[in-house]
Amino acid sequence: MPLFEEDPAHLSKSRLKSDLVAHSVALPPAQSKKDVYVELHLKHIDQKNAADFSSDEEDQVRDVADKEEDAEDAEIPDPSGLTDDDLKAALLEHGFKAGPIVASTRAVYEKKLRKLLQPDGQDHLNGAEKGVVYSDSEEEDEEEEEGSQGAKEETVERSDQTQQESSQNGDFFYPQCFLPSSRLLDMPIVDKHSMKNQSLYYTPKASPYKWGMKLSQEPVKDTFKDMFPDTQATPTGIHATRRKPIKGAAGRPIQYVYPDTPASPTTQERRAVERRLVPIQIQILVFLIVVVLLYLIYACVEDNSFSPFVALLESLNQGSDGEEGLLLPAETQDTPALSGQE
Amino acid sequence: MSSTSQKHKDFVAEPMGEKSVMALAGIGEVLGKRLEEKGFDKAYVVLGQFLVLKKDEELFRDWLKDTCGANVKQQGDCYGCLKEWCDSFL
Repeated sequence: MPLFEEDPAHLSKSRLKSDLVAHSVALPPAQSKKDVYVELHLKHIDQKNAADFSSDEEDQVRDVADKEEDAEDAEIPDPSGLTDDDLKAALLEHGFKAGPIVASTRAVYEKKLRKLLQPDGQDHLNGAEKGVVYSDSEEEDEEEEEGSQGAKEETVERSDQTQQESSQNGDFFYPQCFLPSSRLLDMPIVDKHSMKNQSLYYTPKASPYKWGMKLSQEPVKDTFKDMFPDTQATPTGIHATRRKPIKGAAGRPIQYVYPDTPASPTTQERRAVERRLVPIQIQILVFLIVVVLLYLIYACVEDNSFSPFVALLESLNQGSDGEEGLLLPAETQDTPALSGQE
Repeated sequence: MSSTSQKHKDFVAEPMGEKSVMALAGIGEVLGKRLEEKGFDKAYVVLGQFLVLKKDEELFRDWLKDTCGANVKQQGDCYGCLKEWCDSFL
Protein backbone atom coordinates (compact mmCIF):
# COMPACT_ATOMS: atom_id res chain seq x y z
CA MET A 1 0.00 0.00 0.00
CA PRO A 2 1.64 3.28 -1.05
CA LEU A 3 2.30 5.77 1.68
CA PHE A 4 0.80 9.17 1.07
CA GLU A 5 2.94 11.18 3.40
CA GLU A 6 6.22 9.70 2.30
CA ASP A 7 9.10 12.01 2.69
CA PRO A 8 12.35 10.26 1.80
CA ALA A 9 14.39 12.53 4.04
CA HIS A 10 12.51 11.20 7.02
CA LEU A 11 13.17 7.61 6.24
CA SER A 12 16.19 5.77 7.51
CA LYS A 13 19.05 4.85 5.23
CA SER A 14 18.29 1.18 5.36
CA ARG A 15 14.68 1.92 4.60
CA LEU A 16 15.71 3.99 1.60
CA LYS A 17 17.93 1.19 0.44
CA SER A 18 15.18 -1.36 0.64
CA ASP A 19 12.79 0.97 -1.18
CA LEU A 20 15.26 1.47 -3.97
CA VAL A 21 15.74 -2.24 -4.25
CA ALA A 22 12.03 -2.78 -4.28
CA HIS A 23 11.71 -0.35 -7.15
CA SER A 24 14.62 -1.95 -8.88
CA VAL A 25 16.70 1.14 -8.85
CA ALA A 26 20.43 0.77 -9.02
CA LEU A 27 21.92 1.22 -5.61
CA PRO A 28 24.71 3.74 -5.15
CA PRO A 29 28.02 2.61 -3.67
CA ALA A 30 27.70 1.16 -0.19
CA GLN A 31 29.46 3.98 1.57
CA SER A 32 27.31 6.75 0.05
CA LYS A 33 25.69 9.29 2.27
CA LYS A 34 22.03 9.32 2.97
CA ASP A 35 21.51 12.31 0.73
CA VAL A 36 22.42 10.26 -2.28
CA TYR A 37 19.89 7.65 -1.40
CA VAL A 38 17.31 10.37 -0.84
CA GLU A 39 18.00 11.87 -4.21
CA LEU A 40 17.68 8.58 -5.93
CA HIS A 41 14.60 7.83 -4.00
CA LEU A 42 13.06 11.11 -4.96
CA LYS A 43 14.02 10.75 -8.58
CA HIS A 44 12.75 7.29 -9.21
CA ILE A 45 10.29 6.34 -6.65
CA ASP A 46 8.42 9.59 -6.34
CA GLN A 47 7.89 9.67 -10.07
CA LYS A 48 6.32 6.32 -9.87
CA ASN A 49 4.22 7.31 -6.92
CA ALA A 50 3.12 10.42 -8.74
CA ALA A 51 1.60 8.22 -11.38
CA ASP A 52 0.00 6.13 -8.70
CA PHE A 53 -1.25 9.20 -6.86
CA SER A 54 -3.22 10.51 -9.80
CA SER A 55 -5.10 7.31 -10.15
CA ASP A 56 -5.62 7.24 -6.41
CA GLU A 57 -7.01 10.76 -6.50
CA GLU A 58 -9.48 9.77 -9.12
CA ASP A 59 -10.50 6.84 -7.03
CA GLN A 60 -10.84 9.13 -4.05
CA VAL A 61 -13.00 11.56 -5.96
CA ARG A 62 -15.11 8.76 -7.28
CA ASP A 63 -15.50 7.23 -3.86
CA VAL A 64 -16.42 10.56 -2.40
CA ALA A 65 -18.84 11.24 -5.17
CA ASP A 66 -20.39 7.82 -4.77
CA LYS A 67 -20.64 8.27 -1.06
CA GLU A 68 -22.16 11.67 -1.57
CA GLU A 69 -24.62 10.34 -4.04
CA ASP A 70 -25.55 7.54 -1.70
CA ALA A 71 -25.91 10.03 1.09
CA GLU A 72 -28.01 12.26 -1.11
CA ASP A 73 -30.18 9.41 -2.20
CA ALA A 74 -30.85 8.70 1.42
CA GLU A 75 -31.66 12.38 1.98
CA ILE A 76 -33.86 13.01 -1.02
CA PRO A 77 -36.91 10.99 -0.40
CA ASP A 78 -39.81 12.06 -2.52
CA PRO A 79 -41.39 15.04 -0.72
CA SER A 80 -44.87 13.84 -1.48
CA GLY A 81 -44.13 10.56 0.26
CA LEU A 82 -43.23 12.21 3.52
CA THR A 83 -45.58 12.64 6.40
CA ASP A 84 -46.43 16.15 7.52
CA ASP A 85 -43.97 15.99 10.38
CA ASP A 86 -41.21 14.60 8.21
CA LEU A 87 -41.82 17.29 5.65
CA LYS A 88 -41.59 19.92 8.34
CA ALA A 89 -38.37 18.38 9.66
CA ALA A 90 -36.88 18.22 6.19
CA LEU A 91 -37.66 21.88 5.63
CA LEU A 92 -36.09 22.71 8.97
CA GLU A 93 -32.95 20.84 7.93
CA HIS A 94 -32.61 23.24 5.05
CA GLY A 95 -33.01 26.18 7.36
CA PHE A 96 -36.60 27.04 6.61
CA LYS A 97 -39.11 27.23 9.41
CA ALA A 98 -42.44 26.08 8.04
CA GLY A 99 -45.87 26.96 9.31
CA PRO A 100 -48.69 24.49 9.77
CA ILE A 101 -48.82 21.84 7.10
CA VAL A 102 -52.46 21.33 6.32
CA ALA A 103 -54.23 20.17 3.21
CA SER A 104 -54.03 23.51 1.46
CA THR A 105 -50.43 24.25 2.42
CA ARG A 106 -48.95 20.85 1.82
CA ALA A 107 -48.47 21.34 -1.88
CA VAL A 108 -46.70 24.64 -1.31
CA TYR A 109 -44.31 23.17 1.22
CA GLU A 110 -43.53 20.14 -0.95
CA LYS A 111 -42.66 22.46 -3.78
CA LYS A 112 -40.50 24.49 -1.43
CA LEU A 113 -38.66 21.39 -0.28
CA ARG A 114 -37.98 20.35 -3.83
CA LYS A 115 -36.60 23.77 -4.57
CA LEU A 116 -34.37 23.57 -1.52
CA LEU A 117 -33.14 20.10 -2.41
CA GLN A 118 -32.15 20.87 -5.97
CA PRO A 119 -29.48 23.49 -5.35
CA ASP A 120 -28.05 21.42 -2.49
CA GLY A 121 -27.44 18.52 -4.85
CA GLN A 122 -25.72 20.75 -7.31
CA ASP A 123 -23.66 22.25 -4.53
CA HIS A 124 -22.27 18.91 -3.37
CA LEU A 125 -21.07 17.94 -6.80
CA ASN A 126 -19.68 21.36 -7.53
CA GLY A 127 -18.22 21.67 -4.07
CA ALA A 128 -15.53 19.11 -4.82
CA GLU A 129 -14.31 21.13 -7.75
CA LYS A 130 -14.65 24.42 -6.01
CA GLY A 131 -12.79 23.05 -3.05
CA VAL A 132 -9.74 22.81 -5.24
CA VAL A 133 -10.18 26.26 -6.66
CA TYR A 134 -11.06 28.05 -3.45
CA SER A 135 -9.06 25.73 -1.21
CA ASP A 136 -12.15 25.04 0.86
CA SER A 137 -10.95 21.69 2.01
CA GLU A 138 -12.99 21.80 5.19
CA GLU A 139 -16.21 21.41 3.23
CA GLU A 140 -15.00 18.30 1.51
CA ASP A 141 -13.80 16.69 4.69
CA GLU A 142 -17.10 17.34 6.39
CA GLU A 143 -19.01 15.92 3.49
CA GLU A 144 -16.89 12.82 3.46
CA GLU A 145 -17.46 12.28 7.13
CA GLU A 146 -21.18 12.64 6.73
CA GLY A 147 -21.25 10.30 3.84
CA SER A 148 -19.51 7.64 5.83
CA GLN A 149 -21.48 8.04 9.03
CA GLY A 150 -24.92 8.16 7.48
CA ALA A 151 -27.27 11.03 6.94
CA LYS A 152 -29.74 10.62 9.79
CA GLU A 153 -27.24 10.67 12.58
CA GLU A 154 -25.92 13.99 11.37
CA THR A 155 -29.17 15.88 10.91
CA VAL A 156 -28.43 18.49 13.55
CA GLU A 157 -24.90 19.17 12.43
CA ARG A 158 -25.98 19.00 8.85
CA SER A 159 -28.53 21.75 9.28
CA ASP A 160 -25.85 24.04 10.67
CA GLN A 161 -23.45 23.12 7.92
CA THR A 162 -26.01 23.55 5.19
CA GLN A 163 -26.79 26.95 6.57
CA GLN A 164 -23.11 27.76 6.50
CA GLU A 165 -22.76 26.22 3.10
CA SER A 166 -25.77 28.04 1.80
CA SER A 167 -24.43 31.26 3.20
CA GLN A 168 -21.08 30.52 1.65
CA ASN A 169 -22.64 29.36 -1.55
CA GLY A 170 -24.79 32.44 -1.50
CA ASP A 171 -21.63 34.36 -2.09
CA PHE A 172 -20.79 31.99 -4.89
CA PHE A 173 -24.20 32.47 -6.41
CA TYR A 174 -23.76 36.17 -6.87
CA PRO A 175 -21.16 35.85 -9.61
CA GLN A 176 -23.29 33.20 -11.24
CA CYS A 177 -26.18 35.58 -11.46
CA PHE A 178 -24.32 37.60 -14.03
CA LEU A 179 -23.57 34.65 -16.25
CA PRO A 180 -25.39 34.26 -19.57
CA SER A 181 -29.14 34.21 -19.42
CA SER A 182 -29.44 30.46 -19.84
CA ARG A 183 -28.42 30.06 -16.25
CA LEU A 184 -30.34 33.05 -15.01
CA LEU A 185 -33.65 31.31 -15.39
CA ASP A 186 -32.82 28.52 -12.99
CA MET A 187 -30.30 29.87 -10.57
CA PRO A 188 -31.68 33.16 -9.27
CA ILE A 189 -35.09 31.77 -8.47
CA VAL A 190 -33.47 29.02 -6.51
CA ASP A 191 -30.69 30.90 -4.86
CA LYS A 192 -32.98 33.63 -3.74
CA HIS A 193 -34.97 30.97 -1.94
CA SER A 194 -31.97 29.45 -0.30
CA MET A 195 -30.34 32.70 0.68
CA LYS A 196 -33.37 34.69 1.51
CA ASN A 197 -34.21 33.15 4.86
CA GLN A 198 -37.05 35.25 6.12
CA SER A 199 -36.29 38.64 4.63
CA LEU A 200 -38.55 39.93 1.90
CA TYR A 201 -37.25 41.45 -1.30
CA TYR A 202 -39.84 42.69 -3.73
CA THR A 203 -38.10 44.43 -6.56
CA PRO A 204 -35.08 42.19 -7.09
CA LYS A 205 -37.23 39.10 -7.10
CA ALA A 206 -39.64 40.51 -9.60
CA SER A 207 -37.21 40.13 -12.46
CA PRO A 208 -36.30 36.44 -12.07
CA TYR A 209 -39.92 35.66 -11.32
CA LYS A 210 -40.95 37.46 -14.46
CA TRP A 211 -38.42 35.60 -16.57
CA GLY A 212 -39.40 32.32 -15.03
CA MET A 213 -43.04 33.17 -15.44
CA LYS A 214 -42.78 34.04 -19.10
CA LEU A 215 -41.91 30.49 -19.98
CA SER A 216 -44.85 28.93 -18.26
CA GLN A 217 -47.55 31.55 -18.35
CA GLU A 218 -48.57 32.04 -21.96
CA PRO A 219 -52.27 31.31 -21.49
CA VAL A 220 -52.61 33.89 -18.72
CA LYS A 221 -50.87 36.74 -20.51
CA ASP A 222 -53.76 37.69 -22.77
CA THR A 223 -56.33 37.78 -19.99
CA PHE A 224 -54.02 39.88 -17.93
CA LYS A 225 -53.76 42.42 -20.69
CA ASP A 226 -57.52 42.41 -21.02
CA MET A 227 -57.99 42.99 -17.35
CA PHE A 228 -55.33 45.64 -16.99
CA PRO A 229 -55.15 47.49 -20.27
CA ASP A 230 -53.68 50.59 -18.70
CA THR A 231 -50.58 49.13 -17.17
CA GLN A 232 -47.44 49.86 -19.03
CA ALA A 233 -45.24 46.92 -19.76
CA THR A 234 -41.93 47.24 -18.04
CA PRO A 235 -39.06 45.01 -19.07
CA THR A 236 -38.14 44.11 -15.55
CA GLY A 237 -41.58 44.06 -14.01
CA ILE A 238 -40.60 46.77 -11.57
CA HIS A 239 -43.12 49.55 -11.12
CA ALA A 240 -41.91 52.77 -9.58
CA THR A 241 -43.70 55.94 -8.62
CA ARG A 242 -42.29 59.33 -7.95
CA ARG A 243 -41.43 60.00 -4.39
CA LYS A 244 -43.26 62.76 -2.59
CA PRO A 245 -41.22 65.92 -3.14
CA ILE A 246 -39.44 67.41 -0.19
CA LYS A 247 -41.21 70.59 0.85
CA GLY A 248 -39.46 73.69 -0.39
CA ALA A 249 -36.30 71.93 -1.41
CA ALA A 250 -34.58 72.61 -4.72
CA GLY A 251 -37.28 74.87 -6.09
CA ARG A 252 -40.17 72.53 -5.43
CA PRO A 253 -43.35 74.35 -4.53
CA ILE A 254 -44.20 74.65 -0.88
CA GLN A 255 -47.55 73.08 -0.36
CA TYR A 256 -48.08 74.22 3.17
CA VAL A 257 -46.64 77.34 4.66
CA TYR A 258 -45.77 77.39 8.30
CA PRO A 259 -45.64 80.74 10.28
CA ASP A 260 -42.14 82.14 10.38
CA THR A 261 -41.76 82.43 14.11
CA PRO A 262 -43.90 80.70 16.62
CA ALA A 263 -45.71 83.35 18.70
CA SER A 264 -46.30 82.84 22.38
CA PRO A 265 -49.67 83.76 23.79
CA THR A 266 -48.28 86.85 25.59
CA THR A 267 -46.81 88.29 22.41
CA GLN A 268 -50.06 87.63 20.64
CA GLU A 269 -51.96 89.47 23.33
CA ARG A 270 -49.56 92.39 23.19
CA ARG A 271 -49.94 92.57 19.44
CA ALA A 272 -53.72 92.57 19.77
CA VAL A 273 -53.56 95.31 22.39
CA GLU A 274 -51.21 97.40 20.27
CA ARG A 275 -53.52 97.13 17.34
CA ARG A 276 -56.30 98.74 19.38
CA LEU A 277 -54.13 101.40 21.14
CA VAL A 278 -54.76 104.11 18.60
CA PRO A 279 -58.49 103.63 18.65
CA ILE A 280 -58.27 103.47 22.44
CA GLN A 281 -56.70 106.93 22.60
CA ILE A 282 -59.41 108.34 20.41
CA GLN A 283 -62.02 106.72 22.58
CA ILE A 284 -60.52 108.25 25.72
CA LEU A 285 -60.42 111.70 24.13
CA VAL A 286 -64.01 111.50 23.03
CA PHE A 287 -64.97 110.31 26.48
CA LEU A 288 -63.27 113.26 28.13
CA ILE A 289 -64.94 115.74 25.80
CA VAL A 290 -68.30 114.21 26.50
CA VAL A 291 -67.65 114.37 30.25
CA VAL A 292 -66.68 118.02 30.03
CA LEU A 293 -69.74 118.91 28.04
CA LEU A 294 -72.05 117.10 30.39
CA TYR A 295 -70.51 118.83 33.34
CA LEU A 296 -70.96 122.22 31.73
CA ILE A 297 -74.54 121.55 30.94
CA TYR A 298 -75.19 120.28 34.43
CA ALA A 299 -73.58 123.30 35.93
CA CYS A 300 -75.54 125.67 33.74
CA VAL A 301 -78.84 124.07 34.53
CA GLU A 302 -78.13 123.75 38.23
CA ASP A 303 -76.98 127.11 39.41
CA ASN A 304 -76.22 130.43 37.84
CA SER A 305 -74.46 131.85 40.92
CA PHE A 306 -71.11 130.99 39.54
CA SER A 307 -69.91 134.07 37.72
CA PRO A 308 -68.03 132.21 35.01
CA PHE A 309 -71.10 130.32 34.05
CA VAL A 310 -73.15 133.55 34.04
CA ALA A 311 -70.49 135.13 31.89
CA LEU A 312 -70.67 132.10 29.69
CA LEU A 313 -74.42 132.42 29.38
CA GLU A 314 -74.18 136.12 28.63
CA SER A 315 -71.53 135.44 26.06
CA LEU A 316 -73.81 132.92 24.54
CA ASN A 317 -76.68 135.39 24.58
CA GLN A 318 -74.50 138.11 23.10
CA GLY A 319 -74.01 135.85 20.15
CA SER A 320 -77.58 136.49 19.05
CA ASP A 321 -78.07 140.29 19.25
CA GLY A 322 -80.97 140.45 16.96
CA GLU A 323 -83.17 138.60 19.29
CA GLU A 324 -81.52 139.87 22.41
CA GLY A 325 -83.97 142.71 22.84
CA LEU A 326 -86.74 140.24 23.52
CA LEU A 327 -84.58 137.88 25.48
CA LEU A 328 -82.81 140.39 27.71
CA PRO A 329 -85.89 141.50 29.58
CA ALA A 330 -86.76 137.80 29.77
CA GLU A 331 -83.37 137.13 31.21
CA THR A 332 -83.45 140.05 33.63
CA GLN A 333 -86.72 138.70 34.75
CA ASP A 334 -85.28 135.22 34.91
CA THR A 335 -82.21 136.11 36.87
CA PRO A 336 -84.11 137.91 39.66
CA ALA A 337 -86.54 134.98 39.54
CA LEU A 338 -83.67 132.55 39.96
CA SER A 339 -82.06 134.60 42.68
CA GLY A 340 -85.44 134.94 44.29
CA GLN A 341 -85.88 131.20 44.43
CA GLU A 342 -82.78 130.86 46.48
CA MET B 1 -42.94 50.59 -4.26
CA SER B 2 -45.76 50.43 -6.81
CA SER B 3 -48.76 52.61 -6.39
CA THR B 4 -51.97 51.01 -5.16
CA SER B 5 -55.05 50.68 -7.28
CA GLN B 6 -58.52 51.85 -6.46
CA LYS B 7 -59.50 48.24 -5.83
CA HIS B 8 -56.75 47.95 -3.25
CA LYS B 9 -57.82 51.12 -1.52
CA ASP B 10 -61.43 50.03 -1.43
CA PHE B 11 -60.52 46.66 0.02
CA VAL B 12 -58.24 47.87 2.79
CA ALA B 13 -60.59 50.64 3.85
CA GLU B 14 -63.03 48.42 5.68
CA PRO B 15 -63.50 44.91 7.10
CA MET B 16 -63.92 42.46 4.28
CA GLY B 17 -67.02 40.79 5.65
CA GLU B 18 -68.57 38.60 3.00
CA LYS B 19 -66.86 40.21 0.02
CA SER B 20 -66.27 37.99 -2.95
CA VAL B 21 -62.79 36.84 -3.80
CA MET B 22 -62.91 39.11 -6.82
CA ALA B 23 -62.85 42.10 -4.51
CA LEU B 24 -59.19 41.35 -3.80
CA ALA B 25 -56.67 43.51 -5.63
CA GLY B 26 -55.07 41.58 -8.46
CA ILE B 27 -57.91 39.06 -8.67
CA GLY B 28 -60.24 39.69 -11.55
CA GLU B 29 -62.94 37.64 -13.19
CA VAL B 30 -60.79 34.90 -14.59
CA LEU B 31 -58.62 34.34 -11.55
CA GLY B 32 -61.59 34.74 -9.26
CA LYS B 33 -63.42 32.01 -11.11
CA ARG B 34 -60.47 29.66 -10.79
CA LEU B 35 -60.19 30.33 -7.09
CA GLU B 36 -63.86 29.71 -6.60
CA GLU B 37 -63.58 26.40 -8.38
CA LYS B 38 -60.87 25.40 -5.94
CA GLY B 39 -63.14 26.28 -3.06
CA PHE B 40 -61.86 29.76 -2.25
CA ASP B 41 -65.14 31.48 -2.93
CA LYS B 42 -64.88 34.33 -0.44
CA ALA B 43 -62.12 36.79 0.29
CA TYR B 44 -61.88 35.57 3.86
CA VAL B 45 -61.03 32.06 2.70
CA VAL B 46 -58.06 33.45 0.81
CA LEU B 47 -57.25 35.44 3.91
CA GLY B 48 -57.29 32.18 5.83
CA GLN B 49 -54.78 30.68 3.44
CA PHE B 50 -52.65 33.79 3.71
CA LEU B 51 -52.62 33.51 7.48
CA VAL B 52 -51.94 29.78 7.51
CA LEU B 53 -48.89 30.48 5.37
CA LYS B 54 -47.89 32.84 8.18
CA LYS B 55 -48.18 35.86 5.91
CA ASP B 56 -45.00 34.79 4.13
CA GLU B 57 -44.78 36.61 0.83
CA GLU B 58 -42.94 33.98 -1.12
CA LEU B 59 -45.10 31.10 -0.02
CA PHE B 60 -48.29 33.00 -0.64
CA ARG B 61 -47.15 34.05 -4.09
CA ASP B 62 -46.26 30.45 -4.93
CA TRP B 63 -49.59 29.24 -3.69
CA LEU B 64 -51.45 31.85 -5.68
CA LYS B 65 -49.53 31.00 -8.80
CA ASP B 66 -50.21 27.30 -8.38
CA THR B 67 -53.85 27.68 -7.51
CA CYS B 68 -55.11 30.17 -10.05
CA GLY B 69 -52.18 30.99 -12.32
CA ALA B 70 -51.65 34.57 -11.22
CA ASN B 71 -48.71 36.39 -12.73
CA VAL B 72 -46.13 38.38 -10.83
CA LYS B 73 -48.05 41.62 -10.75
CA GLN B 74 -51.28 39.97 -9.70
CA GLN B 75 -49.52 38.03 -6.98
CA GLY B 76 -47.95 41.18 -5.68
CA ASP B 77 -51.19 43.11 -5.73
CA CYS B 78 -53.06 40.41 -3.87
CA TYR B 79 -50.31 39.95 -1.31
CA GLY B 80 -50.04 43.68 -0.69
CA CYS B 81 -53.76 44.04 -0.38
CA LEU B 82 -54.09 41.27 2.20
CA LYS B 83 -51.04 42.36 4.11
CA GLU B 84 -52.30 45.88 4.46
CA TRP B 85 -55.73 44.68 5.45
CA CYS B 86 -54.18 42.57 8.16
CA ASP B 87 -52.10 45.48 9.40
CA SER B 88 -55.25 47.53 9.84
CA PHE B 89 -57.81 45.03 11.06
CA LEU B 90 -56.18 41.90 12.32
